[in-house]
Amino acid sequence: MEKKTDNYSNENTSFNSAVAVTGFAGGIIWSVIGYIAYFFNFISFGPAIVLMPWALGEWKTGPLGQWIGIVIIGVLSIGLAFLYRLLFAKINKFWPGLLFGGALWLLVFFIMNPLFKGINFIPVLDFNTLVTSLSLYLIYGLFIGYSISFDYYERSRQNEATVQE
Amino acid sequence: MDKKQLDETKIDHPISDDIHENEKMIKERVGIGKSFDVGVRKIHVLDKEIQFYFVNGLCDIQYIIELLRELMFLDAIERKRTKVREQVENRLAHVQVEHVETIDEAITQMLSGLIFILIEGETEAIVVDVRSYPGRGPEEPDTERVVRGSRDGFTENIIENTALTRRRIRDERLRNEIMQVGRRSKTDISLSYIKGIADPEMVKIIKKELKEIDIDGLTMADKVVEEFVVKQGSNPFPMVRYTERPDVAATHLLEGHIILFVDASPSIIIFPTTFFHHVQHAEEFRQAPIVGSFFRWVRFSGMLFSLFILPLWLLFVLDPGLLPDNLDFIGPEEDSNVPIFAQIVLAELGIELLRMAAIHTPSPLATALGLVAALLIGEIAVEVGLFVSEVILYVAVAAIGMFATPSYEMAIALKMLRLIFLVGVVLFHVPGFVVSIAIVFILLVRIKALNVPYLWPFLPFDLKALMDILVRQAVPVKRRRPSIVNPQDPIKQGSS
Repeated sequence: MEKKTDNYSNENTSFNSAVAVTGFAGGIIWSVIGYIAYFFNFISFGPAIVLMPWALGEWKTGPLGQWIGIVIIGVLSIGLAFLYRLLFAKINKFWPGLLFGGALWLLVFFIMNPLFKGINFIPVLDFNTLVTSLSLYLIYGLFIGYSISFDYYERSRQNEATVQE
Repeated sequence: MDKKQLDETKIDHPISDDIHENEKMIKERVGIGKSFDVGVRKIHVLDKEIQFYFVNGLCDIQYIIELLRELMFLDAIERKRTKVREQVENRLAHVQVEHVETIDEAITQMLSGLIFILIEGETEAIVVDVRSYPGRGPEEPDTERVVRGSRDGFTENIIENTALTRRRIRDERLRNEIMQVGRRSKTDISLSYIKGIADPEMVKIIKKELKEIDIDGLTMADKVVEEFVVKQGSNPFPMVRYTERPDVAATHLLEGHIILFVDASPSIIIFPTTFFHHVQHAEEFRQAPIVGSFFRWVRFSGMLFSLFILPLWLLFVLDPGLLPDNLDFIGPEEDSNVPIFAQIVLAELGIELLRMAAIHTPSPLATALGLVAALLIGEIAVEVGLFVSEVILYVAVAAIGMFATPSYEMAIALKMLRLIFLVGVVLFHVPGFVVSIAIVFILLVRIKALNVPYLWPFLPFDLKALMDILVRQAVPVKRRRPSIVNPQDPIKQGSS
């Protein structure tokens, strides 16, 4: 009995660490793609956007700022991954991820952006920026969501299998 | 008419003890006398009539002569005229001798190249395996060449193919389950897996799908089987991996994959497969790990280039404002008479046509084809003013990236994607490009082949497995089997 609970908590921590890794990797990968999109002017802001609320030096819009932004997004993304785990982990489908990404996009662009009006959060909101960022957020949500749900599903299936044995 | 015939083959006809009745029925059913390739040889041994039924071309005539000679000796030497059947059977100098009780089974066996022997007064036929199929030796497969590594490849003969795998895995738990599919063709299919590693659920699913195939024939062999087992729909991506290399097949068996051998095809099917199975190559595992990783990175970047460079360039031509300052030189300098998009489509079409033509051009003409191609699409098109030289550069880069994709099927699917992106770009510029990529990506994520997500381990994300794909690890380090095949025994090697 004792062994079993031990096993359970072990698995829980390994699931949590998997969620954290997924979140971090998702943040890094998609913000790098975002950086590429920014480089080719598909989108009017790069990952350095997360540094905007703070008044920092000139470097914050340069490459250094972008890379720091990427890392910060990676860390923030861990939190988002845990949020997803709490909300939708049990649904092993792909659409909750898309919803999650879409909701995140709405939150950032239409709730947070006007909120921080004074510090000109997003410089230009043209159509290209909107479409590209929406696509990025959707795919990011899909990445986080589908990975976590799938992992959750696999783990519960394996647990069932061991219980049956 | 067809229905009646179908019924005829479905009912079992027991062998009667009247040999002439049997003979009449068999002659009628397989058309002995009408078809030149089926025949019967009758001899009399110990006062009983004995009939050999055979299909010439599929059996080794030398063996049959040997068997006949034995029986003729028997007739000359033996005095006792009783127990004919036992005596005959004892003289059949062969390893694989079996009995069948129905005419239908006997005929099926005969049409597979075995012979069956009917003895007067007996209700059992003796089947002797004297098969010898026309075929080639295990040569190196054209599509999967390596610099180092074994040079044998699968052939069209299922028996040789399973033997080539067995030669690499002497495990007693390797299972080769054979079954026959196809109402008329009765094609042999072998479902191979290692018991104790492969996921029994998956084996069950595939077996069920195979049993449900009810078609007249599988003349296109493995491709037909694939289409029945994985319901592909309208998705262009290859859902299973094919290989013609026994070493690749054996490696996958050990990893816990399931393999289908289909008779009369030199390629075998590996289940389950993900996108990333199609971007690996045996060559990588024949070089030092770091070199293998290098190959992989070169190949990945080639594939990415091939996919994105043309649409991206077209985008910059249509919308030069997108270019960052230091990449300003990109874009055509001279004005062209033909719209760039039309040029790209023409050039792509040309390359695709060339590729198709190259496949069935006999080798003496290949040089001529190459010459025409180089002159036509290259120099002259530019000189005439039809093409901008940059178009040719990028189309060529994209084409080379495609040729470097290890899986032919994957290469073509990627090419189709590129065309979709191009159309997206020309219609809606940046939004078209981004949205078409996003949609294709989401559709790719949705694909599942036999319950395995297609983009695994990228999405669903699995860091360890992804690292295994990005970096070719040294074999001693790789202790675990890939989790996606749900291996029953996840550990590959002891820690030493």
